[in-house]
Order: sequence, then C-alpha cells, then structure tokens
Amino acid sequence: MATQLTARKHGSAPPRRRRSVLARHDAMAGLLFVLPCLVLFLVFRFGPAVAGGVLGFFDYTIGGTAEWKGLDNFRRLWEDPVFWSALRVTLVYSLIAVPVTVAAALGMALLTRRAFRGVRFFRSVFFLPVITSLVLAGAIFRWLFSAEGPWTTMLGWIGLGGTPWLESSTMVIPALALVGVWSRFGYGMLILLAALQNVPRELEEAATVDGAGAWQRFRHVVLPQLRPALFFLAVIETTMSFQAFDAIYTMTGGGPAHASFTLVFDLYEQGFKYFDLGYAGAIGVALFIMTLVVALIQRLLLGRDK
Amino acid sequence: MWHRKVIAVGALAVAGTLLAGCGGSGGAGGKSTVTMWTYPVIIDEKQHRAFWDAAEKEFEKENPKVDVKVEILPWANRDEKLTTAMAGGKGPDVGYLIPDQLPKYAPNIEPYDEHISPEAKQAYRPAALKAATVDDQLMGAPLLMSSNPLICNKKVFDAVGEKDFPATWDDLLKLAPKFKAKGFDIITYNGDATATLNMTYYPLLWQAGGDVFSKDGKSVAFNSPQGVKALKFLRTLADDGYTEKSALTKANLNIEQTRIGRNKVGCTWQHVPIEVEKFWGKENIHVVGPLKDDQQVAYGTVGSLSMFKKAGDKDAAAKWINFVTAKKTMDDYDKKSGFFSPLDGNELYAGDPVNGQMEKSLNKVNVGPLYEKARDVMGVLSPEIQAALTGKKSPAKALEDAEKAAKGITG
Repeated sequence: MATQLTARKHGSAPPRRRRSVLARHDAMAGLLFVLPCLVLFLVFRFGPAVAGGVLGFFDYTIGGTAEWKGLDNFRRLWEDPVFWSALRVTLVYSLIAVPVTVAAALGMALLTRRAFRGVRFFRSVFFLPVITSLVLAGAIFRWLFSAEGPWTTMLGWIGLGGTPWLESSTMVIPALALVGVWSRFGYGMLILLAALQNVPRELEEAATVDGAGAWQRFRHVVLPQLRPALFFLAVIETTMSFQAFDAIYTMTGGGPAHASFTLVFDLYEQGFKYFDLGYAGAIGVALFIMTLVVALIQRLLLGRDK
Repeated sequence: MWHRKVIAVGALAVAGTLLAGCGGSGGAGGKSTVTMWTYPVIIDEKQHRAFWDAAEKEFEKENPKVDVKVEILPWANRDEKLTTAMAGGKGPDVGYLIPDQLPKYAPNIEPYDEHISPEAKQAYRPAALKAATVDDQLMGAPLLMSSNPLICNKKVFDAVGEKDFPATWDDLLKLAPKFKAKGFDIITYNGDATATLNMTYYPLLWQAGGDVFSKDGKSVAFNSPQGVKALKFLRTLADDGYTEKSALTKANLNIEQTRIGRNKVGCTWQHVPIEVEKFWGKENIHVVGPLKDDQQVAYGTVGSLSMFKKAGDKDAAAKWINFVTAKKTMDDYDKKSGFFSPLDGNELYAGDPVNGQMEKSLNKVNVGPLYEKARDVMGVLSPEIQAALTGKKSPAKALEDAEKAAKGITG
C-alpha cells in the first residue's frame, strides 16, 4: 500500500498524462497522414456522389441553372420502360457475373494457396486482368465473340454455332458477364488468398486425423473461416457488377436492341448524350438504393457472424 | 503546439495542391484571351495544328490585344468534356459544333445574328444557314459542309460485271441478287445503336417522303407509311442477305473490320470518299449522288463555330470567328480538311471527279432534326430498328413501340 502511495505521489499520475499527450500527438500525426487522402476522397468522391444524388431532385441544365422538381424525375423513372428494361438487364448480368466471379476467385485461391514451383507466376498471371484496361480488353473480346472469332468457331465444332453471342439478344449478357468475370476474379482471388492464410493449419490437420476427406475439410473447416472474406467479396462484386459499363460500351453499345443496356449505360446516355442531368441523377439514386438493399440482404445471409 | 503548426502547414499544402488544378486563364497585360475547342477535322494532326498556329498568328497580328488559344481535342467523348467543363463554369469561348449538337447547347450559345454582317450572312448557302439556326436564331457561323450521297466501288461493279450504278431503291433491289450470287453485298448498313440515325435510318425515311418529327417539332412522325416502307426496305436487304448481317447490330465498327474495307460491298451512303479511298483506291470511287425513292435526299452536316455565352470578350470572340469564316481562311481550311464550302456557289473542287460530284449534292442534304429532343428520340428509336432488323419485331410494330416510348420524351 505504502509502495503504491509512494508511486502515486512520485510519478504515477504524470506518466499517464504524458502517455495521453503522446497518444493525442500520435492521433494528430495519424490524422495528418490521412488528411490528404480524406480531403481528396471528400472532394472527388463523396462530394460528387452527394451532388449527383441531389441533382435527381432538380432539372439541371448544362449552363448551370437548376430548377427544383421534387420527385418528378423519380415519377418519370417509375413510368419509364427503358429504366425497367435496364434494371432487368443489370440484375441478370449481376446474377451471372457475381456468383461466377466469386466461385472462380475461390477456385483459383485454393489452387494457388500452397507453395509450389511457379506459384507466384500463376498468381501474377491471374491478377493481370484486374489491371488491364477493360476498353482494350473489350476490343479483343469483341473479336473473340465475333462470327469469325475462336469462340463462335469452337461452339460450331460442337454443334452450338450460329448467331455470334454479341449479336444474340439471349446470349449477349452471358458473354459480357464472362468478360466481367475474367476482369474481376483476380482481385477476389487475392482477398481469398489472404483469408486462407489465416485458416489455422491445425484445424485441417485435426479434421484429416478424424477421417475427413478433402471436400469435407473444405466444406466444414475452410469455408466457414472464409465467410467474412466471402461477404466482403460478394458486396464488392455486386457493386461492381451493378456499375458494369466499360466493356459493354466497347463491345455492344447496349445492343442488340437494348439487350445489354444496363442502368449505368442509361445513366450515361441521359447525362452525356441527352444532357438530362437531373434524370441521370435520379437513376444514380435508384442505383445507390438498389446496391444498398442488396448489400444489406447479403449481410443478412453471409455476414451475420461478423 | 508543434502538431498544430504541422497540421496547418499540411492543410495549406493540401489546399494549395487542390487549388493548383483549378486556376483560370485570364488575359495578361490588358490582352483578352479567346479560347476555342475544335476536333480533328483535318485528319493529319500536324497539318491541323499548323493551320491553326498560322491562323492564330495572322489574327493576332491584326488584333494585337487578343490572344487566341485553339485546342484540338479528340472526337471521342467530346460532349462529356464540353458539358462537364461548362457545368464547372469553364469551357471554351468558341467551339466547333454540328447541327446535331446545337439544340442541346442552344441555351449556352450566344445568338450570332448580331455578330455577323448582313453581307457575310447572305453569302452562305441557304441550307448551311438553316442547319445552324435554332428557334429562328443563328447559333454560329458555318465553317464547312459535308454530304453523304451514295458512292459505289467500281472495282466491285467490274467483278460483278455490272456497268450501271443504282440511283433508286428499286435499282438497288434489282442489282442485289446478282451481287449476292457473286459473293458481294449491294449495300452496307451499319446499325450500331451508339451511332446517329442521321447516318443510318433517317436518310431512307426522308427518301421515302417521311420525317422524324412533325412540322412543329412537338411530336414524332416516323411511325408513318413512309417510315414503315423505309424499315421494310432495310428488312428486305437484311432478310435476303443483300447486306452484311453482323453490321446491323455491332457497335463501334472500324471500317477495316467490315466488308466495305475488304472490297466486298458495291455501294454505301454511310461512308465518304476520304474514308474508303485507301481501301478502294480513289480511281474506283464513283459518286452516284443522293439515293432516291419518293425524294432524292442525303444526310449531310454543317460544321459551325459557335460562341458560348460565357465568353469573356464577346467582341474579340466574334472577330476571331469572323476571321476564320472569311472566304480566304475558310477555303483553305475546307480544302485541307477535304470538306466543302458553305458559301453559295463556291465550288472548291471543280474538275475533281470525286469531290466535284460530292459538291454537287450539297443542296440536297438534310442535316437531321434540329429539335431539343432529337437525340433522346434516337435513343428509343434505335433499339426498335435493331429489333426489326434482327426479326424480333415487324417494322410496323417496332415503329409503333418507338412512337410510344418517344411520347414519354416529347410529352
């Protein structure tokens, strides 16, 4: 007790204050480091996003005059068959692209999980599409899917030739979704690889000792451990697929007959082709709400533990 | 205290960095500045730059208190660049615009009637002035004209053994089977949904005697017997294999990737000689003139220099536009770019077998609808035309559905 009192008298309070001051200094320094990024994010991402949403309530001309329209743009959206068609196309695209991307990412992560000769090379190659321009890749894929391209030719060998996929109203979305998967699975693979490194090896070894096969180990030991990463990936991929645009613009221009005309394509045309910026803002708000709702549903299904 | 100072310095640095990109260009030393945005009208970049450098120099010599800056931007995404710049209160004082753009930018364009002399205005072809007029106001000074009449590939006609070139729809349909039998297409139709209908379906609609909008511009008029006739004509070409099927819906087609570029197509109204010359050879280009059904008409455009309302020194901007569109400078520009003069009776290519013939079709061009909602209507009509051409809908049903969708736009 005496020792404690002595300690308090001779210095226990001042060190705490010093630590607190140091902690504040550290926090300030940290804040300073993130400040440029934060300012840039606020100015170039958050600000324009909010402004875009606000635009949805105005009739905004390129000259800068804005007239309050209340919910008019949203009412128009509700009655616009092009919007509903674009929404349907977007959902179909996402329903194909998201699960296939996550599955491909998971498969590639499992394949490249263990160290073997050349694993780094394979990981790099699988990641390469992520950093490849989709406009450039789109031009190449357009040729691959064309009447003279290898994809149509190969399908012809097994009796599935005919209309090239990009010219078919039915097959154009699966074709574009495949391009989306190609461009995105490498990112997912990286996330899942990191998550796989955190799965304790002992758990798998214990399961092996208990007689579990490879599939059982994966299904009951590895997969549950990946749930947070899979949730993150599902949300990111859904958001990305809702925003699909570059490859579609390059490969189909929204055609044939609006069969690949997505919500972002609609937003782009309303904003930059027809200069109806208020209506484009309303489409942006609808897209945001849709993304939010789907992310919440995904959280309920996949992310309830964390 | 140290961290406050560091934060303050950091914040200033960040703010400074951000503001550095937001600087405006002002005149220096009492000079006013005129900025102009144009596009690769002269395809050779060096030649184009040299033209404007020389023009700027000559103009500034005559007007020492004006500093002109001409920027040549790519054609791609030009509307995005212009609209975002204007929305941000930036953008040029003068811009190169075509009729398709004028109605949308009209609220931002300074009406040009009071900046042009009556003599200069009178010297223009009536078609050129009409193309640059929105709501009875001149939106700029025409700088050049173009025309898209029917042109044919003599090499292909020789290969087929045909000497007569088609002048009407009936001629095309009569020749088509012969071309098909020899492995050629009589015509090309690139129905890219992102392309303007002015180059694809509208010329046929006009030739059939129809129009896109009603006379007052308040409603659409394409769902008419003439509209259906034009679409049925196209559908026949597609169904009977007289035109390349994949081009009906493909986006962003490069000419190299088409049968036109491979000398497999007899005629086209979607390309001009300068585009096909390197594939066909200039000696093989035969300019027929605008195709005819009920009417003889072709799409053409008029490139104008418009002054934007935000121009700081309107007098200087007008002086510059009038300098560029004076006959001497304009003729030089039109010849170098391979386009035609918007001045009445001013033939730049007399004696030239290709451009001379092209020039003769200028008075039969239609520049497309000049209404605010013209582009929006294209947005709903274009996919319906693709649906008709790919057999998903009948021509009548496609136009009926497009009309319904267009009503939501025109009100």
